[in-house]
Amino acid sequence: MPAPRLWNLIAELSYRCPLRCPYCSNPLEWAAIRDGLDAGAWARVFHEAAQLGCVHVGLTGGEPSVRRDLGAIVAEAGAAGLYVHLVTAGVPLEPAALPELRDAGLRSVQLSLQDAEQGASDAIAGTPSFARKLAVARAVGAAGLALTINVVLHRHNLDHVAALIALARELDADRLELAHVQYDGWALPNRRALLPTRQQVEAAGRIVREERKRASRPEILLVLPDWFAGRPKPCMGGWGRKLLVVAPDGLVLPCHAARGLPGLEFWDVGGHDLRACWEDAPGMNAFRGEAWMAEPCRTCPERHRDFGGCRCQAFRWTGEAANPDPACALVPHHETLVAEREAAPPDAPLLYRGRHDA
Amino acid sequence: MSDAPWNVAELETHLRAVGTARYHDKHPFNTRMHEGSLSRAEIQTWVRNRYYYQTRIPRKDSVILAKADDATFRREWVQRLHDHDGRTPGEGGLELWLRLADAVGLERKEVERLGSVLPGVRRACDAYVELVEGADLLVAVAASLTELFAGDIMATRIAAFEKHYPWVDPEALAYFRNRTRQAPRDAAFGLRFVQERARTRADQERCIAAVERKCEILWSLLDAVEAAHRRPRLSSHVLLRPDEERPGSQLAVLPERAVRLNAAGAEILALCSGERSADEIARVLAARHAAEARVFEDVHDFLGEMTRLGVVEQRD
Repeated sequence: MPAPRLWNLIAELSYRCPLRCPYCSNPLEWAAIRDGLDAGAWARVFHEAAQLGCVHVGLTGGEPSVRRDLGAIVAEAGAAGLYVHLVTAGVPLEPAALPELRDAGLRSVQLSLQDAEQGASDAIAGTPSFARKLAVARAVGAAGLALTINVVLHRHNLDHVAALIALARELDADRLELAHVQYDGWALPNRRALLPTRQQVEAAGRIVREERKRASRPEILLVLPDWFAGRPKPCMGGWGRKLLVVAPDGLVLPCHAARGLPGLEFWDVGGHDLRACWEDAPGMNAFRGEAWMAEPCRTCPERHRDFGGCRCQAFRWTGEAANPDPACALVPHHETLVAEREAAPPDAPLLYRGRHDA
Repeated sequence: MSDAPWNVAELETHLRAVGTARYHDKHPFNTRMHEGSLSRAEIQTWVRNRYYYQTRIPRKDSVILAKADDATFRREWVQRLHDHDGRTPGEGGLELWLRLADAVGLERKEVERLGSVLPGVRRACDAYVELVEGADLLVAVAASLTELFAGDIMATRIAAFEKHYPWVDPEALAYFRNRTRQAPRDAAFGLRFVQERARTRADQERCIAAVERKCEILWSLLDAVEAAHRRPRLSSHVLLRPDEERPGSQLAVLPERAVRLNAAGAEILALCSGERSADEIARVLAARHAAEARVFEDVHDFLGEMTRLGVVEQRD
């Protein structure tokens, strides 16, 4: 099928990060993947993305502010006409650098918090960082940039949703993303320590519904765990359908985890132009559209909403990426996921992201 | 058991809790009115628009009468029509509201014509009548129970006007004075009716939902009044750019979102300088395009949507 318009480029500038969150979505073998693109190479990627119709670029990682040439990269993205969005943990980013980045073309910052209070947030981050994050949040607002607060939810902070909303209001955030852990990357070996209870999930949903009525700001996006929902998420808005990821080494992927799927050939921006990586790479076309779908997805009326769910999750739990996503209660492998969910003990230890493989 | 019905005292507690959380006495516009910080123009906008609400009330009460089988109920409820319309011309709540309009410097005839009612106000008030039309008698009566909270706000308002807006003749506050008597009487009847009729938990929850919906309606009326005095401007972080994939169309880009604009939308946004109110923007466009009839409504609707999406910010 013909490739659709590219809307959003996710530029992973580096997998390095001072934080050690135990649910990091980077590959377990992140340390082996080097920062292969300099500012000039990223500039070429940005311009080629704009020619594909791209509107948004998210500069992310790892932690994008570990790059000393971040200012130059922001300027190149702005010069390509893209809406420049920085996805950061707030360290080592200097709050004082934000006006400069804005003048270079930055418009929006997504800042991660790990919890609503210093002790708990720093404990999950694995490093003192909360105080700096709050300083960054205030500097983002003062610079006239849009502020999104992003919190990855799991068993240990899901009961703090009300406090997180209050904090986002105090920081005058435009948006608050409360997104449950996706059980891949570092969260896969940590799943037993991260899985919440159904009561926690339901209580969080009620609080968010009430808070949305109470005030229009911030806009709250809530993503509940697909392991409890009975239906898959529309992962990445569909494979190769709206966005692509360029990894630090230049590999072009349909999602940040697709590198781990066996047998798929993706291309990199060193060897091909971005149009070829998007339109022609065999891996990018492997799950585009609906022809690849098995039953019950193939004839399911919900396939236009969830696009068959997550290929990585299908691979992890069924051994075959083309199988239906087992988060869906309509598919046989769902039982495996339910058994796994119910097996989570209350006191499993957390494995922090380290330098080497888990 | 979570679906057991509440007793009458519990039901009243739950109904009152809705008011505590959501009644429009907590709306920023009312807060400012009662602290004395509204401008004369803002007071005028409120009086002119709130009159539309007043005109919907007797129609709403007529709908309720038409749903009632019981003569005792009708005899009681018809009093509300008399309160609003008066027994003879020159009496009643609507007349008193028009005297308030006179006193704040509006043209009574202009207010009565309802020609410059804000679209958001019109929609909110119409939604109340539609809610009552579509409901059974129990829910229709329950929706009126915001009167439980009205007595206090009227007393606060009289004091605030006397203290902060001395340019309004105190005689013209007669509407509010009457309501401090009428609202508690009406609310007591409505509450008793709801307590007697809502016997199942499901019915009780429908009554709670009706009061919540009514609070939303009152709240959005004030949202619209408030917005009329704000001066929209493009949010500082929004990127406006042409969309090469669709020649002739523009995109307003913001985090996680791109809003496609047609030529009319782009023209409105270009006027959002932070200097003009929505009405002033509409007047510029009406002059430019030889007064298309719906321009005011279109501009208000468009700017409301753009504000919701974060494309424009509203400054007081």
